[in-house]
Amino acid sequence: MSLIFKRALATAKSVVPPVKTVDVLIIGGGPAGLTLGASLKNSSITKDLKIELVEGFNLDPVKKFYDETPEHFTNRVVSLTPQTINFLEKTGSWKFIKQDRIQPYDSIVVTEGLSDAKIEFDHHSMATMVENVNIQSSLYQRIKELEQESELKSEDFGLNLRDNTRVEQITKDETNQWPVVHLSTGEQIKTRLLVGADGFNSPVRKFSGIESRGWFYNRFGVVATLKLEFPVFKYAGWQRFLPTGPIALLPLPDDNATLVWSQTVENSEMLTKIDSEIFINLINAAFVLEDVDMQFYYKQLNKGETEGLIEDIQWRINHATQKYSDEQLEENFPLKVVSIEENSRARFPLKLSHADSYVSERIALVGDAAHTTHPLAGQGLNMGQMDVQSLVGAIEKGMQRGLDIGNPLVLEPYWADRYPENHLLLGVVDKLHKLYSIRSEPIVALRSFGLKAVNSMSLLKDFMIGKVSGK
Amino acid sequence: MLPIKRQLRSLPLKNYVIRALSTSRPSLHFPIDKKTSTSQDEMDHFNQLASTWWDVDGPQRILHKMNLLRMDFIQETLRNSIDLNQDVESPDEEIYIPGYNIDLLPKPIAEQIIAEQELKREELVKSQPKLKALDIGCGGGILSESLARLKQIESVKGVDLSTDVLEAAKLHQRLDPSLHDKLQYRLSAVEDISKDEQFDIITMFEMLEHVNYPNEVLKSALGHIKPGGWLFISTINRDFISWFTTIFMGEHVLKIVPVGTHHLDKYINETELQDWFKEQKDFKVANSKGCIYLPFNGWSFTDSPNVGNFFMAIQRTK
Ligand SMILES: Cc1cc2nc3c(=O)[nH]c(=O)nc-3n(C[C@H](O)[C@H](O)[C@H](O)COP(=O)(O)OP(=O)(O)OC[C@H]3O[C@@H](n4cnc5c(N)ncnc54)[C@H](O)[C@@H]3O)c2cc1C
Ligand SMILES: C[S@@+](CC[C@H](N)C(=O)[O-])C[C@H]1O[C@@H](n2cnc3c(N)ncnc32)[C@H](O)[C@@H]1O
Repeated sequence: MSLIFKRALATAKSVVPPVKTVDVLIIGGGPAGLTLGASLKNSSITKDLKIELVEGFNLDPVKKFYDETPEHFTNRVVSLTPQTINFLEKTGSWKFIKQDRIQPYDSIVVTEGLSDAKIEFDHHSMATMVENVNIQSSLYQRIKELEQESELKSEDFGLNLRDNTRVEQITKDETNQWPVVHLSTGEQIKTRLLVGADGFNSPVRKFSGIESRGWFYNRFGVVATLKLEFPVFKYAGWQRFLPTGPIALLPLPDDNATLVWSQTVENSEMLTKIDSEIFINLINAAFVLEDVDMQFYYKQLNKGETEGLIEDIQWRINHATQKYSDEQLEENFPLKVVSIEENSRARFPLKLSHADSYVSERIALVGDAAHTTHPLAGQGLNMGQMDVQSLVGAIEKGMQRGLDIGNPLVLEPYWADRYPENHLLLGVVDKLHKLYSIRSEPIVALRSFGLKAVNSMSLLKDFMIGKVSGK
Repeated sequence: MLPIKRQLRSLPLKNYVIRALSTSRPSLHFPIDKKTSTSQDEMDHFNQLASTWWDVDGPQRILHKMNLLRMDFIQETLRNSIDLNQDVESPDEEIYIPGYNIDLLPKPIAEQIIAEQELKREELVKSQPKLKALDIGCGGGILSESLARLKQIESVKGVDLSTDVLEAAKLHQRLDPSLHDKLQYRLSAVEDISKDEQFDIITMFEMLEHVNYPNEVLKSALGHIKPGGWLFISTINRDFISWFTTIFMGEHVLKIVPVGTHHLDKYINETELQDWFKEQKDFKVANSKGCIYLPFNGWSFTDSPNVGNFFMAIQRTK
């Protein structure tokens, strides 16, 4: 038995638990944290690092997903760019994605609620809809595969994943100033590099003293898993900008679809509670009817008045659409929603935030810990993946140069690489959100002119497609 | 105990060379007129820098940033010296190395070729014995630590004549547990290192421009290189560009290096070194590159090793 081990045993007997020392401690087992763990173990340069990943929630659904795949679609679904998929392929995790549960789509039809302006973005394999849990599961499977391929015992493999464990406090080691993370299990982990992949409320960011700026949009994103009247023929995303916020209906395989509806606080709460039949009809109405009609329904529903509402909605939808041929209907409106997956409704507060820096001595932030954005452009998770790719590159470079990977000289290039691009994207998305929340006539005229102009100006359109598809 | 960082800051800035003279411990004893030794004011200068040596935002920031590039230089030289097909018995096993720029190939093919080479290189490095390194004029150990962290390095010995900077080096080494048994520091002049100590790699970075008799220092260093082993050097050309960038801009205008760090008359031209090594039996210059510091951009390589700062790699052929 080694001396160090003996000493660890000796202290274990007393009250103070032994402190484990690692090279990289990742807080957060979300998409960003798991991708970082898998990529570091996948790289021939960084694979020997001792890594620990700590997640507060139970990861059982993620661990079981691959072998005991649930029948129904889950309600957290994201749109992935080809760049993200390319990165996940390189990491070796994409092959563990359940392919029958993802849906690539080639176009997105954007309309707005206060005019008849419409714009269609077309681009082969523009993006792919994937459930969050499918992404996390593929990464978990990849980590398991890498462990097997290494032919090491699991305690020697050097990536220890622990869930149901929360970070309670972060301090600094007295002698060498390395971060020491205190866990809800009473254990402590000391680390050369602490990575916050711990989401919007990032305890790591708070510990590091890095300021984050931004605001809440005073809007919630209402999500749900839906069934359409028929299986889709041409897979497309649909998005309509309403003064309350955009509503998006995005394709899943066959006759399934997923909803992200950005709404006021009051309406979002109402939408998660109302009878599912009414909910479905409201979604259909939101893609067809005028703002005044929608405002009327919200008012009724917030008062709890539901009598005759469904009939009214259906009558108005019919009235508004009867002038169109079948072909025109197909071009201008999504297929009708006919049912909703039970218990799939949920809502999330929407916000914009950006940390002043992503790095400081022995600290790096990735994903939502560094930035959060309005989901209207489907960018949040994708940005986090590009962060991870860049951070892994910086760590590889640092190791080839024999540097301590907690050294700011190793980490700064990551921040310099990602901050400007993320900042630009956050700004564009924020402006879009604000532009479309305005009801005043001249601005409506101006922006619907904008939408029409965009549709005909192919150059600008290509640029916009580039943003959504991450090109 | 004080946190080590604080200890670093409160290091006494006494002149240890004088103390060293008065002590009877043989290892600390070297007369000041020794050929390779360095003048008193040079040593005073480095002693004073000891306490802030490891502050990457402090007076040595520029050295920390240069370290990134010189590690790239060392790695590149070592990588290029590996014969990927050295152990091949039949042409089938050979790794394909195109005789032209690989970037001319379609991207997926180029990527595949590079990946194959990378894998083979890794295999070869793994199968070879690990390397022993000596860092002469190691200062606070910026390069010594970097070398010690590399997988292919077995051990690093850092030597310097300034007790204060060595103390800073030792204190800093203690902060990183991975360095404990790979790195050791000694107060020693090159010629005092025992003749039977032989190394695969000797480094002498930003040192030659501070010594009085560079050829004597170089000669002593060459005596410790194993056959096939390496000497890596960086120093500064004695030209207008060097004076302008290192002394005028660096010390006086931008104040990114402390005043008094450089003396133009001690700078050595790249061509002079090239000529000198031509006369040394069994040694060849394998790589030489210029490098330049641009504010806001940091250091980057140039194609002109005979202007400003430069790196040089010398290999012992037999
Ligand atoms: C309605 C909606 C729709 C969206 N649609 C898209 C889309 O189409 N495309 C897209 O790219 N993005 C989309 N996003 C954004 C995307 O979901 C997020 O950007 C992404 O999930 C962030 O991943 P992450 O790993 O950085 O953070 P998270 O997923 O937030 O993970 C952080 C993890 O850290 C853990 N954690 C936090 N604190 C602690 C602690 N103290 N101790 C231990 N563990 C802790 C948490 O439990 C969590 O698992 C959408 C978001 C919303 C709300
Ligand atoms: C500019 S510093 C460079 C330190 C280190 N090589 C680096 O580049 O990070 C020069 C160092 O050389 C040391 N030095 C000067 N003359 C020396 C000599 N004759 N023998 C050993 N070290 C010497 C100084 O004490 C100082 O630490």
